[in-house]
Amino acid sequence: MAKSTKTLYRSYIIEEYNLTEEPYYLPVNDEVELFEAAYKQRIPVIFKGPTGCGKTRFIEYMSYKIGVPLTKVKKQDTQKQNNIPLVTIACHEDLTASDLVGRYLLEGDKTVWIDGPLTRAVKAGGICYLDEIVEARKDTTVIIHPLTDHRRILPVEKKGELLEAAEGFLLVLSYNPGYQSALKDLKQSTRQRFISVEFDYPSRDAEAEIIKHESGVDIQTSTQLAKLGEKVRNLKEHGLQEGSSTRLLIYAGKLISQGIKPRRACQVAINWAVTDDMSIQQSISELISSIFE
Amino acid sequence: MNNKKIPNNTLKDIRAKLNNYPDSLKDNFEISLKLVSEIFTKEETILWALVGLKIAQVTTRSWEPSLEFYRATPNIIKYLPFNYIIQWGESGLDLSTESPTLASSYFKASKDTIKKLRSRHIDSWALSGKSLYNGTWKSSTLACQFFEHSPSIVKSLTFPQIEKFISILKIISNNSFDLASDSLTISTNIFGILGKNNEEFLELLPNIMESNFRELKGFLEACSKSLNKIDSNERINFIKIVIKLMQNGEMNIPMHITEMSKSLNEIDKENHSSILNLATSLEGSNSIYFINSVPKVLEKLTDNQLIKWVDTGKNIYKTNVEGALAFFKIESSYSEEVIENLSSSIELSRIKEIMELYCRGLAGSEINLENTGDLVEKNIGWVSNEAPSTEGSTVYLPAVTDKYTSKTDNFNWYKVVSTHQVAHVEFGSFRFNFTKPSIAFKDLRYKLEEKKIHNDENYKSQTWITDIQRFFNMFTDRQLSLDIFTVVEDGRLDERIKYEYPGVKNAYIKIQTDSFKQRKPIQELPAREALVELIVRIGLQELKSIPVPKEHKNAAKEIVLIANQVFNHSASVEDVAEATLRIYAIISQISNDNIDQDNWDNIDIDDINQEYNDSDDMDQLIENISQIPDTESNKDEQEYTPSEQVDYRGDFKPELSQLLNELRNQGEMSEDSNKDSNLTQQMLEEMFQSSAEIDVDSNVSEMQNASGKFANNILKETGVNINQQDYGDGAPSHVDEDGGALDPNEPQTFVYDEWDFRAGDYKPRWCIVHQKEMPEGDPNFYTTTLHSYRPLVQRIQRQFEMMVPETFRKVRKLDDGEDFDIDDVIEAMIDIKTGNSPNEKFYWRRNKVQRDVAVALLLDTSASTAEAIDDSKKPGDDWDAPDDPVKYMEWLKKRKSEGARRSYKRIIDVEKESIVLLINALESIGDMYGIYGFSGYGRENVEFYNIKDLHENFSENIKQRIDRISPLHATRMGPAIRHTITKLQKAEARTKLLFLISDGRPQDRGYSREGVEKEYAVHDTKMALDEAKKEDINAFCLTVDKSGHDYLKTMCEDIGYEVLDDIHALPERLLYLYRRLTM
Repeated sequence: MAKSTKTLYRSYIIEEYNLTEEPYYLPVNDEVELFEAAYKQRIPVIFKGPTGCGKTRFIEYMSYKIGVPLTKVKKQDTQKQNNIPLVTIACHEDLTASDLVGRYLLEGDKTVWIDGPLTRAVKAGGICYLDEIVEARKDTTVIIHPLTDHRRILPVEKKGELLEAAEGFLLVLSYNPGYQSALKDLKQSTRQRFISVEFDYPSRDAEAEIIKHESGVDIQTSTQLAKLGEKVRNLKEHGLQEGSSTRLLIYAGKLISQGIKPRRACQVAINWAVTDDMSIQQSISELISSIFE
Repeated sequence: MNNKKIPNNTLKDIRAKLNNYPDSLKDNFEISLKLVSEIFTKEETILWALVGLKIAQVTTRSWEPSLEFYRATPNIIKYLPFNYIIQWGESGLDLSTESPTLASSYFKASKDTIKKLRSRHIDSWALSGKSLYNGTWKSSTLACQFFEHSPSIVKSLTFPQIEKFISILKIISNNSFDLASDSLTISTNIFGILGKNNEEFLELLPNIMESNFRELKGFLEACSKSLNKIDSNERINFIKIVIKLMQNGEMNIPMHITEMSKSLNEIDKENHSSILNLATSLEGSNSIYFINSVPKVLEKLTDNQLIKWVDTGKNIYKTNVEGALAFFKIESSYSEEVIENLSSSIELSRIKEIMELYCRGLAGSEINLENTGDLVEKNIGWVSNEAPSTEGSTVYLPAVTDKYTSKTDNFNWYKVVSTHQVAHVEFGSFRFNFTKPSIAFKDLRYKLEEKKIHNDENYKSQTWITDIQRFFNMFTDRQLSLDIFTVVEDGRLDERIKYEYPGVKNAYIKIQTDSFKQRKPIQELPAREALVELIVRIGLQELKSIPVPKEHKNAAKEIVLIANQVFNHSASVEDVAEATLRIYAIISQISNDNIDQDNWDNIDIDDINQEYNDSDDMDQLIENISQIPDTESNKDEQEYTPSEQVDYRGDFKPELSQLLNELRNQGEMSEDSNKDSNLTQQMLEEMFQSSAEIDVDSNVSEMQNASGKFANNILKETGVNINQQDYGDGAPSHVDEDGGALDPNEPQTFVYDEWDFRAGDYKPRWCIVHQKEMPEGDPNFYTTTLHSYRPLVQRIQRQFEMMVPETFRKVRKLDDGEDFDIDDVIEAMIDIKTGNSPNEKFYWRRNKVQRDVAVALLLDTSASTAEAIDDSKKPGDDWDAPDDPVKYMEWLKKRKSEGARRSYKRIIDVEKESIVLLINALESIGDMYGIYGFSGYGRENVEFYNIKDLHENFSENIKQRIDRISPLHATRMGPAIRHTITKLQKAEARTKLLFLISDGRPQDRGYSREGVEKEYAVHDTKMALDEAKKEDINAFCLTVDKSGHDYLKTMCEDIGYEVLDDIHALPERLLYLYRRLTM
C-alpha cells in the first residue's frame, strides 16, 4: 500500500467558499424578488421565522443565485468571478466585538493582526449572515450599525482604521421571534436599519415537494410527512414551544428512505425531537399512528 | 355524713384500734396520714381515718380493703375534694359489706379510674360494680374484673356508656358468668380500638346476643384481634356488616372476621370506606366473599370499575343466589369475564389530555374534549348521554368505553370516534356554504329554491340564519332530508379519514364492520327506511349482497351511484348537499311500505360501477322535491322513523352546530360596534321548532317551551347579545366633563393626569387614586387553592425552578478576582506591544447572579368580575344584568339580597386563584413582586388596593388579604396603571413588568361625554401603557373578555396582550406568560 497521506476533508478560506451547485430552494412567497431588489440597492435584510423553516438555505440559495448572472456578458468565465462569498456567523451570548472584527495575536514576540469574519466579509464584498442575532450581546450588535446605513464602513478600533465595505457586501440577520422575550429583543435602533422578510413553514404541498427533494422519499410519504408537520404545528401554544420544523420532517424522510419504518422514524425525528413532555409525546404519537400505517 | 359533729375519736384511738390488724395496714395508714394531714384539717383527717377503720371492722378479712383504701388515698387526694373522698371511702365500705375482695379491687382501681371519672359518678361506678355481684364466687370474679378494667374502660367510654355496658354484662351473666367475664375483658380491648364509635358498638352488642349467644365470645375475640387492620373510621361499619351476617345465621363468624380483616389489610386504608359501603349494600353472605375477593379484584379494576363489577353481582343475586356467591368468590367464569371486560374498559378522564391534544392537532383549532353528559347538561338540543358528538368547538365523548375486551381496542374506539368527530371540523361539515358550487354535481340548489319561491308565496319570508338551515328549509320532509344528509356526510368523512390517515384505517374498518353487525336486519324496515339504511351500509363499507326491495331495485342502484360520487376523499360538503337533494328526490317518491320477506333482492355495490350522470330531466326532479306530498297516503304506509345512529359516528346535528358556530363568531364580532345581529330570540325558537334535529316527542306547547329554553341556552353559550329590551329607565347620564383639576387632600391619595384623545393632551390632575390596604380575610383560601391545583402547582414549580439562573456566573474583566483570564492577559499584552493602552482589568470572579425582576400585577376587581363562569350552574337570570356599572351594582346587590347563594365560580375567583399560584411560584424564584387591585367610581374615586406591595414580604397577612379580593365598582384603568408605574419606578430592578389582568374594557362613570366614552377610555388606557413603556416598564395585558381583541388592538398597539378564550386557563396561562416575559 502506498503510504501517502490523503486529506479526507476539504477546507476553504472564507472568501473563497463558494457554492458550486445551486442549493435547492423552493420559494414560498415573494422572498426571492424581495431579496434581489434589496441586494441591488444594498439594503440590509432581517429574516424572521421559526427554526428550520429554511432561512439559512434561502441565504445560500440567494448568494448563489445573485452570484451567477443570468446572462453571461463576456466570454470570460464570469461565473466564478461573480460568485459572492457567504460568511455565516452563528451568534452566541459571548460573542464579542473583536470576535467579529478581528484581533491581534501574539506570535513569538510579535503581534499579528487577524481579521474577524465580519471584516473579511466586508473586504471581500460578500454577504455576511449573522444567525440568531438576538443571542449576541447588545454591545456587539452596535458595531454593525455603521455598516448598515449609507456609510457602509466598519471601524476597526484597535488598528485605528475605517474599513469601507467592498461593492458586493451586504449584512443579513436572522432571528426567531418565537424565542423573543422581554429581555431578548432587538433594539429599535438596530431593527430599523433593516427590512424584514418573514418566513414561515411552507404550505403542505410545497413542503411535501421540499421533503421529497431533500430526503428522497416518494411524494406520497412526503405528503404524509408534511401533513404530520402541519398537525404537530397545530399543537404549538398547547404545550409545545415550537412546531416541528421542515428540517425535522426532512430528517424523518431521510430515515424512512434508509428503510426505517415510518412510525419509528417520525417518533425519533419529530416526536422526541420537539418535546420532552410525556403527555404531548403521547398525543403526537397518536397523530403519527393515525397518519402512518 | 360530712355534717357529722366533731368525732369523739382521736387519731390515737384509731391507731390503737388499727393495731388489732396486721402491721401492714397500720404502716400504710401512717404513710398516707402524713400527706393527708397536710391537706385536710384535723377534723377531716380524723373522719378520713375513721372510714378506713370502719372498713377494717366489717369482717375479718376486710382489713385488706381498708389497707387499699389508705394506700390509694394519697393518689386520689389531688383529684377529689374532701367530701368526695369520704363518699368514695364509704362506697368502698358498702362494697366491703358485700365482699372484701370486691372492695379491694375497687380501691386498687380507683387511682387510675378516678383520674378520668367525674366525681359525681364515683358512687354510681361503685354501685355498677356491685350490681354485677350476686354473692356467688363467679360473680365476684366478674365484678372484680370490672374494677380491674375500669381504668381503661373509663378512658374509652363515657359514664352513661359504662352503665349501658354494665347492663349488657348483666344480661350475659344471666347466662354465663364465664362468658360475661370474657366479654368484659375482650370488650375493654375493643373499646380502646374503636374510640369514638363505642356508642354505636354498645347499641349493636345486644343484637349479637339476640342472634347468637354462643358466637359472642368468638365474635369479640376476633374483633379485638382484627379491628386494628381496618381504617379507624370504618371499624364500626365493619362490625355492622359482621352483625348483619350473624343475624342472617352465618356460621364461623370469627373465621370470617379474621379473613375479611386480613383482606382489608391488603388494601389501602383510604379505600376501606368505599369498599365497606359496597359490602354493606350486598345481601346475604355476599359481603364476605366480596371483601375477601376485593384485593384480587382491585389489582385489575379501578374503583369505578369495581362498583360496576359489584352491580353486576347484585343483579345476579336477584335471580340466582348461588350464582351470586360464586360470582363474588370469583369462582364463576362469568365473574372473571366481567373483570376482564371492565379492566379493559377505558375511562375518558384518563386519556382526555392526550386525546384533546390529538384532536387539536388534527383540527388545527382550539378543540376541547368533554364528557357527553356535559353537552346534555347545557340543554341546547343534545339529549343523548351515550352518543359522541361535536358542535364545532368541543368534541363530546362518552365517559367510559367497554365495547371491546382489550384495552387497545377500546382505546382505538376512542381514537376512531374522536377522529370522526374532529373530521366534522377538519373537513368542513359545518362550513357548508349554500352558494359554493359543488364539484361532483351540477348545482340544483338555486333552482330548487327558486322553484320553492315560485310555488309558495310565503316561502320567501321564511327566515334562516345559517346556510345549512337555508338548505333544509327547501325540503318538505325535513327529517328525511336531514337523515340523508347526515348519513351521506358521515360516509364522506369516513372515506376522507381513511384516505388522509392510513394509520388509523385498520382500526377504522374494524369498527365500521362491528357497527355494521349491530344494525337491524334491513328486511325489517319499510321501504323508505330501507333505502336510507342502504346508504348507511355503503358508508360502512358493506358492499356485498345488500338486500333491497325488489320493487325499488332501480331506485336503489341510482342511490348507490349518487352516493358513490361523494364517498371519496375529494368530495366536499356541498357535494353532499347536492347528493342529498338527488337522493331525497328518489326516496321521497317511494311510499314507506312494509315489504314482504319474498320481495327482497340483493345487490352488490361493487357491480354498480358506472358513472353517475344527471338525467336529462332535472326539472322534473326539482318538481318532485318541491311539490307538497299528498296528505292522503295509502294505508300501508308506515310513519317514517329516523335512521338508527351508527354508534361510532354518534350524534351529528349539522343545523345546530352551524348555528352555534355562527353565533359564536357573531358574539365575538358584534361586541364593540353594537351592531348586534338582526337575530331575534324568536327566530331562534322558530328554528328549533322547525329543525328535525330536536326530538319532538312532546306536545306542541311543551315543544315551544323547550325551544325557548334551548334558544336561551344557546345564546348564553355563545355570548351573543340579542336585541333585548332596553333596561335604561331614563336615569341621568353622568357627565363629569365639568370641573377642573383635583387636589389630593387626604393621606394615601395621589393625583394623576388623564389623556384626552380629542384634545390630544393631558387633562391635568384629573384623577385621584386612593390607595388602601386590602382588609384581611381567611388565610385558608390560599392553602385550599394550592391544594386543589396540586398537579399544576407541581408542574409550575418545576418550570419555575428551571428559570432560576445558575447562581454563580463567571464575571470577567475585573480589577481583582479569583484568577486572571488568560485571554484578557494576552489581549493586554498585545495592546502593550502594539502601543495601545492596555486594559488592565483581566481578573475574573464567580459572582452571584440574581434575577433582577420587579413585577406589578394589577388586578381588575370591577363589578363585572362577579359574573359566573360556570354556565351550567349559572343562575338563570344573569341575562338581564345591566351594562351600566351603576345599575349593575344595584342589580347585583338586589340579587345578593335575594339570597342567591354562590355555588359557582366567578371570574374574580379564578383571578384570585391565579394570584395564589403565581405567588407560590414567585416565592420560589425570589422575584420582587407586588399585587394590586383596582376599581373605582368616578375620577375622584379610583380605589387602589395594596394586596402586596413590592417591598413587602410574603406573610400570613397577605394570604388573608387575597381572600378578601372581591368585585367592587367600575374599571378606570388609566390612573391605576399610572399609580403602578410610580411604584415600579421606585423599585430597583433591571426588568420591570406591569401585568394587567382584566375582564373587559375600561369603563367608568363619567369617562368623558356620552358617546365617546369607550373610545376615550381606551385611548387613556393606551396612553397610560405607553407611559409605562417610556419608563422602561414592560406592560402586558391579559384579558378574559372574549371580545377583547378589538379594543385591545388599539389599547395595546405595540404592547403585548392576550385574550383568553377560556377563563379556566387563566392560572396556567398567567404563569406561562410570566415565565416567557421575564426570561
